[in-house]
Amino acid sequence: MTKIAVAGVGLTKFGEMWDKSLLDLAFEASKEAIKDAKMNKNKIDAVFVSNMLIGKIAGQDHLGAVIASSLDLNCASFKVEGACASGGLAIHLAIQSLLAGTYKNALVVGAEKMTDASTSQITWALMGASSSQERKAGLTFPALYALLAQAHMQKYGTTREQLAQVAVKNHSHATLNPKAHYPFEITLEQVLKSNSISYPLGLLDCSPITDGAAAVVLSATESSGIFISGSAVATDNIDLAQRDSLTELKATKLAAKIAFDQAGVEIDDIKIAEVHDCFTIAEILAMEDLGFCPKGEGGKFIAGGSTQLGGRCPVNTSGGLKACGHPVGATGVKQIIEITQQLRQSAALRQVRGANLGLTQNVGGTGATVAIHILQT
Amino acid sequence: MNSPVTVWRHHKQINKNLNKTGRLLVWTKVFVAPSGFEHEAPYFVAIVELEDGQKMPLQLVDCEEKDLKIGRQVMTVVRKRGKVGLDEVIEYGIKAKLI
Repeated sequence: MTKIAVAGVGLTKFGEMWDKSLLDLAFEASKEAIKDAKMNKNKIDAVFVSNMLIGKIAGQDHLGAVIASSLDLNCASFKVEGACASGGLAIHLAIQSLLAGTYKNALVVGAEKMTDASTSQITWALMGASSSQERKAGLTFPALYALLAQAHMQKYGTTREQLAQVAVKNHSHATLNPKAHYPFEITLEQVLKSNSISYPLGLLDCSPITDGAAAVVLSATESSGIFISGSAVATDNIDLAQRDSLTELKATKLAAKIAFDQAGVEIDDIKIAEVHDCFTIAEILAMEDLGFCPKGEGGKFIAGGSTQLGGRCPVNTSGGLKACGHPVGATGVKQIIEITQQLRQSAALRQVRGANLGLTQNVGGTGATVAIHILQT
Repeated sequence: MNSPVTVWRHHKQINKNLNKTGRLLVWTKVFVAPSGFEHEAPYFVAIVELEDGQKMPLQLVDCEEKDLKIGRQVMTVVRKRGKVGLDEVIEYGIKAKLI
């Protein structure tokens, strides 16, 4: 694949941003990304906005034009939705438009404003990413991932402690990220004793309800900096019960293979990764499906420490979705930003030394959409 | 909330999967429910494999946690689905109980 440059990045603080609207957050991140790219904003000839929920919870649709006009731009602008993978999809589509030669510089901005709605409203709105059969059965996203966790525990003997270890690690990383929603440590015991959301997952196994925005400027004309050398999307049945297996996300495997081939690299070359830990089991599945460890050994692999800062391949140095927060539409774009900062060697206290090749995995629903990106210096 | 016509359309499908036996593949206990199900929490939901090979997510009714063993036989039954407002059509759907 022809490389596309990440010319600029912008990220708001993630958290409960009571005094900021979706538009405020998207504007702040976009301005910062354009400034970071040292680019006249009129050179941006396309905007891709990723968002999942605002149409449902606040009635605002037509976000492409809403965000572009807030930046005083009249260029082409699109809203992209693919549940929690909206950000990864928007990045992928922006890259395709640059590779096609239609546009030269694209702004991708992911934003989500979640705390204006009640927990049950958000739980219901997120279920739009599942199947009608799943909604009718009273399932929720924590419950769907709880089913995946149960299946993994039954088949491979993965333990409750191994699940909890994912949350402990990602919170520990978040203490070094000033933009994180929850920049504090939690203990294994706290995770194990947290209120049950859907058995076996407790509150501290779940990513939070977060406000935030992330923006990047992608360019087909820049010849230095950080580049995206692999970008792939794959899909699978939206209904968990119809999948071939409950212990893997097939779309992760399929998209990863395409992205690795495009970049001409292998999993062993990856020095750092941001993966979709919406629930602790999801990071275990990601490690296995991406090929970091054999199937069934993800829990043991993470508990062994090689994905901690200081380990062989740190995973989710931002704190991941669990501790940095999960503003749904922004997450896939934030992952690109974290890897870009690491490859620029500008990640301050959480810098991974020698990071020159990174990967992002962004999942929609329970794996019905997966976007994989590979970034390099 | 579902409109009367979508409820009507869905009801026409219920008998297709009613009174079938199957087995429990995997289950969870939902403590935090989505809108419309809050009054039922905590409740059990499973992925069930029916005798004809179909797999589907179904709410489990009339059961206790200690009896939820993988592979356990179940049967599909018809039950009211979720919460119904005073001026709404009552929706029914397929759920499963242990046998």
